[in-house]
Amino acid sequence: MFIIKNPGIETLVEDWPGRLGYLGKGMSTAGGMDNLALRFANLLVGNPLGEACLEVAGGYLEGEFGVDTVISITGTDISPSINGQPVPMWKSCRVQKGDILKLSHFGEYGFRAYIGFAGGIDVPLYLGSKSTCLFGSYGGFDGRKLKQGDVLALGGAPQNLTSLEGRGLKDGVMPVYEREWHLRAIPGPNASPEYITEKGMDYLFSQPLRIQHSSNRSAYRLEEIKSGFFAREDGGVGGSHPSNIVDHAYAMPGALNICGNTPVLLTADGPTLGGYMCALSVIKADMWKIGQGTPSRDYIRFVSCTREEALQARLEQKKILTEDSLS
Amino acid sequence: MLKPYDVILDTLPTISSRPEVLFRQAGDGFLQVEYGREQRAFLFDSFRMMTVNNMLVAQNIQGLIETVPGLRTNLFHFDPEILPVEKLIGLIKDVEESVTDLSDIELDSRLISLPIAFEDSETRKAVEKYVKEVRPDAPNVINGYNLEYMALCNGVSVEEIKQMILGTEWYNSGGGFWPGGGFYWPMDPRCAIVVPKYNPPRTWTPEGAVGIGGPCIFTYTTPTGGGYQLFGRTIPIFQFSQKHPLFKNSPFLYRPADRIKFHEVSEEEILYIFKHVHEDTDYEYQIEPGIISVERWLNFYHSEDVQEGMKELKIKQAEGSQKAPRL
Repeated sequence: MFIIKNPGIETLVEDWPGRLGYLGKGMSTAGGMDNLALRFANLLVGNPLGEACLEVAGGYLEGEFGVDTVISITGTDISPSINGQPVPMWKSCRVQKGDILKLSHFGEYGFRAYIGFAGGIDVPLYLGSKSTCLFGSYGGFDGRKLKQGDVLALGGAPQNLTSLEGRGLKDGVMPVYEREWHLRAIPGPNASPEYITEKGMDYLFSQPLRIQHSSNRSAYRLEEIKSGFFAREDGGVGGSHPSNIVDHAYAMPGALNICGNTPVLLTADGPTLGGYMCALSVIKADMWKIGQGTPSRDYIRFVSCTREEALQARLEQKKILTEDSLS
Repeated sequence: MLKPYDVILDTLPTISSRPEVLFRQAGDGFLQVEYGREQRAFLFDSFRMMTVNNMLVAQNIQGLIETVPGLRTNLFHFDPEILPVEKLIGLIKDVEESVTDLSDIELDSRLISLPIAFEDSETRKAVEKYVKEVRPDAPNVINGYNLEYMALCNGVSVEEIKQMILGTEWYNSGGGFWPGGGFYWPMDPRCAIVVPKYNPPRTWTPEGAVGIGGPCIFTYTTPTGGGYQLFGRTIPIFQFSQKHPLFKNSPFLYRPADRIKFHEVSEEEILYIFKHVHEDTDYEYQIEPGIISVERWLNFYHSEDVQEGMKELKIKQAEGSQKAPRL
């Protein structure tokens, strides 16, 4: 087990790919915001790649181990220490019962860190996933972020811990973090000229858009669009604003909603259906980057991409998430 | 060669039993199928779409993760590594082309009888809280509740509003937005109440609350915020804990294409049923299998009585919306 001494800003149990198949029931996938760091954390400690980890947004988590195990910490450089001694990121390390893990705040680059535990985290599956949906208060650990005094049950660690410690990644495998995140995206379904002008779509693809401070696991809000964006005066029976549309399902996660004049990138816990148009979708292989996008500090730049390139990117990402990437 | 923002991958032409079908690109794992180019709210589109949807889902297509119907769009969620989008479009087209006559469109649709207590004390509390904490001068709150505002907007009396709610079956165009919810539209257009949504939204709504926003009725599944005008309370239609036998296999009651019919009861009866769903788990829901025949519905819709009644209601609504204060 792992005892929470200080939960930090927002610490959640999340797995990958989350809760699939319930969009029509009003449940988005939830799951790790940076699914790549989450899967690397699992790879380093020998877990199935989609096993549940702790997702630490912002930082300041402190906890005590109730068992001997092996852990890994990936994501933003959060200056982890064990019993006051710094430990490296992106490398598995052995911990003992009674050890205190302490994380500082998010680093120069990135926003979320992931802690993988050998054997995983033992919370009940809810509708096929261990992920917390914070917006709906279900799944994970009682449907909420962790609090001081919570005792997190860990899965049974493998017999031979020694073989799991000290595992790192080969050069060039670790993802590169930026302040301006390039997200490859496919235009549609409402990118066509009856909804959005060509100039409007060009605008979305032409410059960095600052991430607003109100961004969270449901939605990343970006700076307002400029005039001349919409190709229509109003939304007809969908509503009075030109961004309105008769309610339709959102391609979740990854759809860019135009909500009034604000582009809103819908993420893990976001709404699955609503009355705003969707201009583009971030490709699945790049969705991890948004999890590292730091509100008020970082920028997003959309880069136009084809479906073929998106599929290729999925396959390439799969290739690096294997034991071959371990050093 | 596609133009940069030409996101319509394919189309099917209009025929007598179907508007034009548009296949819209929606990222690297989603396809939006849209019925017609006009933003309209006409149940016929949903009946047809849902008929085709059910035939496709019954095929257990490999790589199709789920479908998410809206009123006039259907979102297909798929794994492009298994199911190329071109193949998926082909499969949808085959089924579309097999549904040519109106008489082909028959849709399984359960009829769920739901008791309702108008203006019960819990939803009154939600309105009270809104006035106290969110908007003290809310023009949609008259005598401490929303029913009189609903009547005002539609140019009818409160009694007539209640009779419209009780006098028609309400059709579920699909879920989404909030876990377990559904969007319900009147089968009888003479009962098509339309109201604006709260501005700004409420911070709390009790489980079981029934509200209307725009043309749709929504029954609140769990305590949450919300923007629909409240008029009463029904029984649980969702159960996280899955203790009651009806929810044993899934926490959801509603399915797309379900119909609900309200009958008026006392608040005591609602509270009694709440206890027998959540605590004693022995309440028996009234659910009957049924079918929507599109031919019959269109005949009903176009009949003189209904058309006349619709016109009369629209005149009253035009007058009402002039008088009712904006939100």
